[in-house]
Amino acid sequence: MTRSVWKGPFVDAYVLKKAEASRESGRNEVIKIWSRRSTILPQFVGLTFGVYNGRKHIPVNVSEDMIGQKFGEYSPTRTYYGHAADKKAKRK
Amino acid sequence: MSDLICVGAISGAFGVKGEVRLKSFTAEPTGIADYGPLVTEDGKQSFDVTLIRPVKSGFAAKLSGVLTKEEADALRGTRLFAPRDRLPSLPDDEYYHADLIGMMVYDTGGAELGRVKAVLNHGAADLLEIQAPGQSDTVLLPFTLAAVPTVDLASGRIVADPPDGLF
Repeated sequence: MTRSVWKGPFVDAYVLKKAEASRESGRNEVIKIWSRRSTILPQFVGLTFGVYNGRKHIPVNVSEDMIGQKFGEYSPTRTYYGHAADKKAKRK
Repeated sequence: MSDLICVGAISGAFGVKGEVRLKSFTAEPTGIADYGPLVTEDGKQSFDVTLIRPVKSGFAAKLSGVLTKEEADALRGTRLFAPRDRLPSLPDDEYYHADLIGMMVYDTGGAELGRVKAVLNHGAADLLEIQAPGQSDTVLLPFTLAAVPTVDLASGRIVADPPDGLF
């Protein structure tokens, strides 16, 4: 069942606090969070969060197309390497 | 940077007419046929690959020189490699995972941070998994222009400016 619109998106309060502090300081840092359930808000765009996956913090660079998703979606809890073969990585 | 890149593996015979079941590791699975002829790890055998049709966990494929089921069965577990120079060249700021893996990573001051163990993508930016010397744990570094200002493929060096709190 989807969440009622009138409630607005859910974000743990400490995530908002940390993000605001990081934006104000202007430092290039990874904001460590444990809240995988928090929704990604527009004010998080451009920040880098370290989202805990039960073992370590996975860096997540927030971009515009991630708004509305949850942080946990970008921090998998299982590792699968696969093969490199001809796979490409793009520096953005 | 290795000269040969593993692009697939033979998981056994398919049918009784000398076809094989081929697992593709390429980004676009059907792309494996474009890199042919493919060689075995020891370089002793070479195969032209013709994909017949997709089957469960791979493709049914015809390999040149493999005519019977017995010959196909004998190749079970064989990994197939393509020479690195057969991969098409890429635009700026785009790199093959195979090229990045194994490169040494230094910070802007020249201190060694580690070696690239893997390149991961969990839906956000690409991440370099870096194995620091003398440590069992790995560190994930976002593969962005800000965090990785220099990638020198020729010398195998990456210069990183990691965000605070990563290393």
